[in-house]
Amino acid sequence: MNAKSTTAVPNAGGRRSFMGSLGRHGFVWGLLAPALIFFCVFNVVPLIWMVGLSFYNYTLTTGNPPMFNGIDNYLSLLSDPSDWSAFSRTFLFMLLTVSLSGLIGSLLGLVFWGSKNLPGRRIALTMLFTPMLLTPASVGVFFKLMLNPNFGVISYIAELFTGHRVDFLSHQMSAQIAVLLVDVWMWAPFMTLITLAALASVPQAELEAARVDRLGWFATLKRVIFPHAKFILMLGLLLRTIDAFKTTDVVLLLTHGGPGASTELLGMRIYRLGFNSLDMGNASTMGVVALLIAIGFTSLYLYVLSLKRVEG
Amino acid sequence: MAATQHTSVQTRVKRAAYYLLLWLIALIFFLPVLWILLSSLKSTDQMLSSVPTVFFEPTFHNIVDTLNRPEFLPALINSVILSVVSVVLAVIVSFTAAYAISRFKPKGSDFLMFLLLSMRMVPAAAVIIPLFLMFVELHWKGSYVGLTLFYTMYSIPFSLWILKGFLDGVSQRFDETALICGANYLQIMFGIILPQVRPALIAAFIFNVIFVWNEFLVNYIVGGSSTQNVPGLLATGMYSGGSVDWTFMAATTSLYMMPVIVMIFFFQKYLLVGMTFGTVRGEV
Repeated sequence: MNAKSTTAVPNAGGRRSFMGSLGRHGFVWGLLAPALIFFCVFNVVPLIWMVGLSFYNYTLTTGNPPMFNGIDNYLSLLSDPSDWSAFSRTFLFMLLTVSLSGLIGSLLGLVFWGSKNLPGRRIALTMLFTPMLLTPASVGVFFKLMLNPNFGVISYIAELFTGHRVDFLSHQMSAQIAVLLVDVWMWAPFMTLITLAALASVPQAELEAARVDRLGWFATLKRVIFPHAKFILMLGLLLRTIDAFKTTDVVLLLTHGGPGASTELLGMRIYRLGFNSLDMGNASTMGVVALLIAIGFTSLYLYVLSLKRVEG
Repeated sequence: MAATQHTSVQTRVKRAAYYLLLWLIALIFFLPVLWILLSSLKSTDQMLSSVPTVFFEPTFHNIVDTLNRPEFLPALINSVILSVVSVVLAVIVSFTAAYAISRFKPKGSDFLMFLLLSMRMVPAAAVIIPLFLMFVELHWKGSYVGLTLFYTMYSIPFSLWILKGFLDGVSQRFDETALICGANYLQIMFGIILPQVRPALIAAFIFNVIFVWNEFLVNYIVGGSSTQNVPGLLATGMYSGGSVDWTFMAATTSLYMMPVIVMIFFFQKYLLVGMTFGTVRGEV
């Protein structure tokens, strides 16, 4: 192809003919084009479609074509208490699952720090890291089975303590706790992984110096480990936050957002609006808000990521 | 370090206790998985008894039965085809794009990388609403091609991020020297640079295959009965109405997670980069 324009050595400067530069441009765009086409067809177009629909009244059940209604959907989003509770529920869920999985995960990370010579380490770590890569559909099936009030092993264990069979998923509070704990179970190991990486970023020499200086473990943690580890930990917690924000699929299979709307997180709310009520207009409006929040989180994440690059 | 031949009994006991603790933690996290694996080896009565059966004689009846179900094998084949084809395509597309971005830094490429990552951070349900309408409109609903191409897009952000990160680490001197020796860009890209980013290619391939292998929301909503993958099969099984066929569900789940567990075992060193979309590198 145009790749023969040998003068176009990247960063080499020098004699670059007009034809060569044109050819190079064509070549660069040729390399980028497939990815851009995929991006446009499967992300940009649907998302523009979604933004457009968010200004329409469009419910599939009525059979009517979409009707433009301005910002009515956004106004109703502001005034609808069930939308508000979906948001507040999601943020509470994010807060709880990120702090619980963060706490448990980083503690386990500290515990696993010295595990280099653990016999069968690879198998042990595989067991630890399996939950986060399981099919969400399988996780839903798993816990539905184990929480089943007739033959579930968790409900059997709960019976030993409470004296009666607990049907976790049919009571609001216990269903919420179940969803939360399943999420923590899946994602605490992720924070362990992150913590191990963060601890590996602490220079060995400084740890050695702390040992020579007989620094206590807490002082070592605070003054030697944390300053180095905090960067990767921060990235991990941010990713965890984004993941918690995204949570849809496990909840869909485990509780379908119920009982009532007690486990209806933002993703679930959009799903139910779109595919249970077939109200595509309002579902799109929620989707747009979710999109904006996601863009906000990603900006924050990349900002934190760029801090390190500037530092060193 | 302290000479190992002098380790006292006390430190050896301490170390044994420590290792035991580590194994215990790993086991606790694995327990729910283990329970399902064991459940799939139980008879229906044992599995559905109100007092959990811990000791039992394993039977492969459920596994054999599941493999013989007419719906299982096609779903499994769909899972394999959808994940492998779409990810191979995504890795190729991402490699060329990442090469262009890393070497020529076209205007707006940082913004493009940002947008791509953002799209993976949106709740799946929000993406699916317009995707569903678009697929219905274009008559792509239930088509292999539509779903495969969607999964390709689904795999591009991570592939591009990780490949770009690795390509930035490969010195441009390779390109320059090869150019002077008369090679063209395609030869440089595939012959000289590609082999040097093998870890990134492996990580992108393995993790995107796992992500697509596990995906069910899009498959469930946008796919049709002929493109259904195993997670989709599980989801329909849960909500098909009537009673849930628990032995089939447990056996299917057990079979389906085996490849993932094997991949985590063999590609453990790529786990960090895989789970952070290529933004954090390192080994554990």
